[in-house]
Amino acid sequence: MNKHIDFDKLQNEGVENVSNQERRDFLKMGLAITGIFAGGTIFSAISTFNQAQASDFAKKYPYNPHYSMVMQQHRCIDCERCVVACNETNHVPKVHGAYRTTILEKETADALGGKREFIPVLCNQCNLPQCTRVCPTKATYKDQTTGIVLMNIKKCIGCLTCQEGCPYNARYFNEEKKAVDKCNFCWDTRLSKGEKDTACAHACPADVRVFGDLSKQDDRVFKIVHQIERPVWVLRPEAGTRPNVFYTKG
Amino acid sequence: MTIRTLLMTAVAALSLAAVTAVAADYPEAPIIYDKPVQGVIFSHKVHVEKGLACDMCHNRIFEQQAKKSQQNKDFVMESLYQGKYCGTCHNGSLAFASNTRCATCHIGVKGAKRAQGGDKAEHGEHH
Repeated sequence: MNKHIDFDKLQNEGVENVSNQERRDFLKMGLAITGIFAGGTIFSAISTFNQAQASDFAKKYPYNPHYSMVMQQHRCIDCERCVVACNETNHVPKVHGAYRTTILEKETADALGGKREFIPVLCNQCNLPQCTRVCPTKATYKDQTTGIVLMNIKKCIGCLTCQEGCPYNARYFNEEKKAVDKCNFCWDTRLSKGEKDTACAHACPADVRVFGDLSKQDDRVFKIVHQIERPVWVLRPEAGTRPNVFYTKG
Repeated sequence: MTIRTLLMTAVAALSLAAVTAVAADYPEAPIIYDKPVQGVIFSHKVHVEKGLACDMCHNRIFEQQAKKSQQNKDFVMESLYQGKYCGTCHNGSLAFASNTRCATCHIGVKGAKRAQGGDKAEHGEHH
């Protein structure tokens, strides 16, 4: 319909001149559009809500399995069985400064008990690792299946830039391997061989280290990280590395 | 000698006796358990100074031999919660409950090193 409408000359017909039928038709059109939209979400509110959640975390946790660890920090008593188990399983040299995991100590009146707290630390298997970015030879990389930051020791030239770059002091130079070494969630020594947890998590007598898979909603790590009753945090979030190791208390 | 000097001497003698009586021989150095976990401290001094007599513990609860208890397989926290060992008093009513204030006794490997080696063990250890 190519009717030429001269808009400048159009007169306002006035609302009172619009017939009720015309008004009804107009409203029905609007309702039809909004109704389809609203009706869809109202009638299936629960399933769409869940779907939204599922697609959200599928993007957030892209690895399968998405290995992660949460530390129930208030339970740590510095028995260091985890360190012993790790050193034995992963052949960490008995040299000062050589560790894949260690326990930090903090004297604080905030601790349960009011004296000190012990904080286990290890490689956080960051989602945006600084170490892999600075490696000149690609000797370290984030595995695309499991998300673990792995070492290809044949390519390591010992420049130690990764060690400098790590905000968590997780890396050390292994003189026996002549390459940088760090925690790899016991991938080669345990997980790839069918074990379900790391040596440190297995050895802890106080249920401090909870190891699991963030891509599964019924996993214990997933539940602790996503619950809202007690605070869950990461170390040094300002570093922007998006760590995969979480801490909680209480 | 006047009565006054006599009385003062008596008081002095009694005080001396009292002081020497309180300085009973118990191990002054703290005992640090290493089984089943390392770094658990027990201080006789702290308990005696609260007024506990030797036979309050060394009657049935503990043997009078350092770290003898840790040879028992049941020397675990669960036993304490059931009133055994330290849990006899550390149940919340006589003394703080054994499932609270963990770091009071659990000084850890680091605490044990400090208690045994003195400050030189800590020097240079900074991560």
